[in-house]
Amino acid sequence: MNLASLAMRRPTALHSLGNMIRLESLVVLLLLILALSLASPYFLSVSNALNILLATSVIGILGFGATFVIAAAGIDLSVGSILGFGGVTGALAVNALNLPWPIGIMVSLLAGAFCGLVNGLLTTRARVPAFIVTLGMLGVARGAALVLTNGQPVYGLPGPMVWLGQGRPFGVPLPAVIFLGVAAITHFVLSRTRFGKYALVIGDNQNAARATGIHVERHLVALYTLSGFLAGLAGLVSAARVNSGDPTAGTGYELAAITAAILGGTNLFGGRASVVGTLIGALIMGVLQNGLNLLAVSSFYQQMAIGAVLVLAVWLDQLNRGRGRA
Amino acid sequence: MRREGLTYAAILLLSVGFAAAAPAADGPTYGVVLKTLANPFWDAMAKGITEGAKEAQVNIFEQAANSDQDAETQLNICNTMLERNPQALIASAINSSNLLPCMKTANEKGIPVVDLDANLDPAVTQRAGVKIAFTIGSDNIAAGGKAADFLAQHLGSNAQGPVLVIEGLAGNVTGEERAQGFKAELAKVAPGLKVVASLPGDWDASKAANIANDTLQRNPDLVAIFACNDTMALGAVESVFAAGKGGKVTVIGVDGTTDGVKSIKAGRLTATVAQLPYLEGIEAIKDVKAILAGQSVPAVVHVPTLVLTAQVLAQGTNPYLKYVK
Repeated sequence: MNLASLAMRRPTALHSLGNMIRLESLVVLLLLILALSLASPYFLSVSNALNILLATSVIGILGFGATFVIAAAGIDLSVGSILGFGGVTGALAVNALNLPWPIGIMVSLLAGAFCGLVNGLLTTRARVPAFIVTLGMLGVARGAALVLTNGQPVYGLPGPMVWLGQGRPFGVPLPAVIFLGVAAITHFVLSRTRFGKYALVIGDNQNAARATGIHVERHLVALYTLSGFLAGLAGLVSAARVNSGDPTAGTGYELAAITAAILGGTNLFGGRASVVGTLIGALIMGVLQNGLNLLAVSSFYQQMAIGAVLVLAVWLDQLNRGRGRA
Repeated sequence: MRREGLTYAAILLLSVGFAAAAPAADGPTYGVVLKTLANPFWDAMAKGITEGAKEAQVNIFEQAANSDQDAETQLNICNTMLERNPQALIASAINSSNLLPCMKTANEKGIPVVDLDANLDPAVTQRAGVKIAFTIGSDNIAAGGKAADFLAQHLGSNAQGPVLVIEGLAGNVTGEERAQGFKAELAKVAPGLKVVASLPGDWDASKAANIANDTLQRNPDLVAIFACNDTMALGAVESVFAAGKGGKVTVIGVDGTTDGVKSIKAGRLTATVAQLPYLEGIEAIKDVKAILAGQSVPAVVHVPTLVLTAQVLAQGTNPYLKYVK
């Protein structure tokens, strides 16, 4: 793609709603809600809606980080492990080191951001592929969490930290508020700021981005750091929900986060990404899981269902795009 | 466009089919949250619960996390279960804190909460302000004691010699209680048998094998090994046989796992104090029905254990054998 067409494409891609979120995803979500409302009398209620938002919050926050990294044609496989590492370091800071709770929160967030920074630096400076770097971090961060805790959960967080995960201001679970708040901020950053637009341009064509004067390496480091930071935040919320820093927390969540982004229409190979899409993608998984739980479907089948929905959503997208070209 | 429309129609049809297939629950329903089903112990527990529900004529609404470490997912499952307003919540928490928010909500809704297989720490639970109707599980101190009784009977109460105890993960209550129960009872019933070492094997077979190996170097006259679970006992047995002392050292485990039973039948492991999760599942449902009917149930319900040996397995007459899965 040459620069002229790049410049032509960008504004339309960003400003047309049809391209910003994949309508197929929204249709799938609405169909799921419709079907589950018919299937279970317990599904359609305010308290269950809040319950779904609460259950989806941690995966969703990870998904927003994944959206930025994938937008720039990167991949971050380490967020599940960073989640565990972030939760554990925060819990240890307040428990083993007896530091005040605001420091505990800072430790979780900074631990996550630090892991992300290392991912970014190794990817850009050492030129090791992101897939390998973050696969390595998946092992290192998980191992570090297990070493620090001797494999055992760290029980008991101070009241204000627990409140982050269990508080219900005006009856709304706080993790759901954080989830939607992060969605709003990251949506603004991705669609309205230079930071977000550059990520998409890099994902579209790295060489072209470099040619237009974008500092690609520095930008990628920032994107991986953001992903790590959000994983640290997710770790904090997750630990607060269960009132313990668990070194095994978040195992496998990296794939759920990527699934949420892809379900929402983000292109795995970069250049097209939407936070609102990821929000919808995470909710598809959350609604499906909640509905299947309400219907007493075994957790083994739930994994199959989510896998099937992922392939289905992308397939619908392909059909649509094929039609557009024809 | 037509193909796409067809696909949407297919999704809709599938969903409606799903809706039609959804079980219509009438009569009382108990919610059951397990740790995982991908594990023989919990599988046996789930089967016992199903059997208990059939006997008690109640519906069961049962869910489990994918692994016994996925604490947050289990909390999500528990929260979702409360949306269905079950008559009771029977839960095996993955750790002592992860389900407390859900249990608190259950308390607020007036739904009695049962601690299945004693996973909660009473102090932590009380601090969180969560009320538990009753706790059901094996008595781990008694299980250790039964192992000591069996050893005294097997070797004779006048037997002399060194004994090795392989504990669980350091700091884990279950392992500590089993080891404690074993040592206290052994001192009473066979004072000639002396515990020369009591070391944590971290529930791990190869660690237990190393501990057994090292102890055999130092105490070649070792007469018995008590391991706090079958996995470790099986590791220790391999060291005993590798050292050419097969059959000369009595090895006893706890749990009654399928592998443990196989090893006993093969003449390697001497005995295991079997827990009976199937029976525990049946008992839990029965007791829940009792409290809902206004009857009282002890705050801690102990499920019996069964000492499995080659002889007991061969005879096949013990009534509890049918609960060994």
